[in-house]
Amino acid sequence: MLVAVAIFVGPFLYAALSSFKQTPELNGVVKDFLPRSAYTGNYTNLFNDSNFPIYLVNSFVVAIATTAICLVVAILAGYALARFKFAGNRLLLLSIVNMQMFPAVLMAVPLYKILRHLHMLNSRTGLVLVYVTFALPFCIWMMRNYFLTVPIETEEAALIDGCSRFTAMWRVALPPALPGVAAAGAFCIVQVWDEFLYANTFIDSDNKRTLSVGLNSLIGQYTTDWGQLLAGGVLMTIPVVIIFAFLQRYLTQIAGGGVKG
Amino acid sequence: MALTDVKQAAERSPAAPDKGRPRRRRAHALQSWLYLAPALVLLLGILGYPVINALWTSLNHSVLTNPDGDRFTGLANYRAIFADSAFYSALWHTVLWAAANLFFQIVLGMALALLMHQKLKGRAFFRSIVIIPWVVPSVVVALIWRYLLDPTSGPINQALVALGISHNPPLWLANESTAMPVVIALSVWKWTPFVAVILLAGLQSIPEELYEAATIDGAGAVKRLRYVILPNIRTSLALASLLTIGYSVNNFNGIWLFTQGGPIGATETLTTLAYRKAFSTFDLGGAAAVAVVLFAGLFIVSTAYFFAVEGRKGKRL
Repeated sequence: MLVAVAIFVGPFLYAALSSFKQTPELNGVVKDFLPRSAYTGNYTNLFNDSNFPIYLVNSFVVAIATTAICLVVAILAGYALARFKFAGNRLLLLSIVNMQMFPAVLMAVPLYKILRHLHMLNSRTGLVLVYVTFALPFCIWMMRNYFLTVPIETEEAALIDGCSRFTAMWRVALPPALPGVAAAGAFCIVQVWDEFLYANTFIDSDNKRTLSVGLNSLIGQYTTDWGQLLAGGVLMTIPVVIIFAFLQRYLTQIAGGGVKG
Repeated sequence: MALTDVKQAAERSPAAPDKGRPRRRRAHALQSWLYLAPALVLLLGILGYPVINALWTSLNHSVLTNPDGDRFTGLANYRAIFADSAFYSALWHTVLWAAANLFFQIVLGMALALLMHQKLKGRAFFRSIVIIPWVVPSVVVALIWRYLLDPTSGPINQALVALGISHNPPLWLANESTAMPVVIALSVWKWTPFVAVILLAGLQSIPEELYEAATIDGAGAVKRLRYVILPNIRTSLALASLLTIGYSVNNFNGIWLFTQGGPIGATETLTTLAYRKAFSTFDLGGAAAVAVVLFAGLFIVSTAYFFAVEGRKGKRL
């Protein structure tokens, strides 16, 4: 167990420690394992001298917009796939499973053309639209599997009592499936937070970049300010770790979302 | 907007359980499509159409910098990539990359899942902490490792020299022969916890009694793994394998952020090749052709999975 912890966590601890080091320590001129003093200059430089705060805001905006759209659409679609019998249900399911396997790079060319056509290149709205495509299939798949685990009997009772189908879904089937919603939402946020390929391709101006592209662009061709970069990496990681800490008990369900049903 | 439409529609139509009269059943089918409508519009508009567009682009001469200059050239793009040695090199790297990722991630993921499943003190903490590499954004993972593996100022090489292990430490990502093993190792490191979490879900679904019965019957750890655990987590294993293949073949970040396919194409996979064709040499047609070939391969794997796993469970809907 300890070995596993060291392997999986060690590099992060070292990087986090290093983000408090000064340049000579980072370049290996001074060879100390721990930082000599808690130097916070890397963090203040990051906020004062780089566009990091802008990237941060952009990432938040894009992640929240994408997740909100995905969840609403996925709840409806997942419910329909889990509950209704209709022609094409299995075919639809098969396509959704297959969509999870879509190479992002296959989509990059046509999406570039479409965004260019819609004049949405270099726009955050365009990016949200694109992100919905890759996050939605997974969210639908997860919501369907969650709705399948909710017993149908209570809903039938609600329907007999005169509830409309939508009310039955909203008030009866959805609450027990809320862990699924939270898990799908978290997964969505994390994916958007992490996404690099599209953000790198479709966004040109520095002030519209998201964190992943922005941070990567700070890695210089010849000289790299590792201190600032590591500080940025630490800050970019914190929200994701918080989300996962909250979702700890749903974790196996997130990953196992596809196993169920 | 879409939500209120559906709501109104839902309120108008009678609540129809599955075994209604024919008229009701029709209303029922209509209703289900209403729930699906927003998803379908989005998926067809921004997923279905682009796929067709990609197929079409692969049959055209299409250059990024010349938006109106597309012209139909049939299979010319495919002939060009199949005649290009860079394509075969990238294909080989893709197979190697996916196979190595699959093998190491499943084996190590299984080991890690068993560790996570042990009833020991601090299990919850252990579980939450070993998944960190999977959780941390790829860009951050890349920059941390690029720092650690930096040939001159990186701490790893500094330590190798300082401890006298090597006077001429490897260049890691900058060397043709070490770059591929290093990116594979880093990808395995990042994704093994994810595989472990999927397999853990499988392990948790095995009833405790099975272990006890096997132990009473005198089965050792190896036999328990072989006869109790593995058969019972078949679905999890199949899912983990499918996802691992899909994610690694499509993994752009895991290579691009470290080496951009270099040095000298040593880590170029079909994914990075397609990206480079599209956005470095502006050959959209060629890029689309490479991507279509890649997708066709994945489509076959994923459909086979669907029929093997989902199909077997029969009717549930």
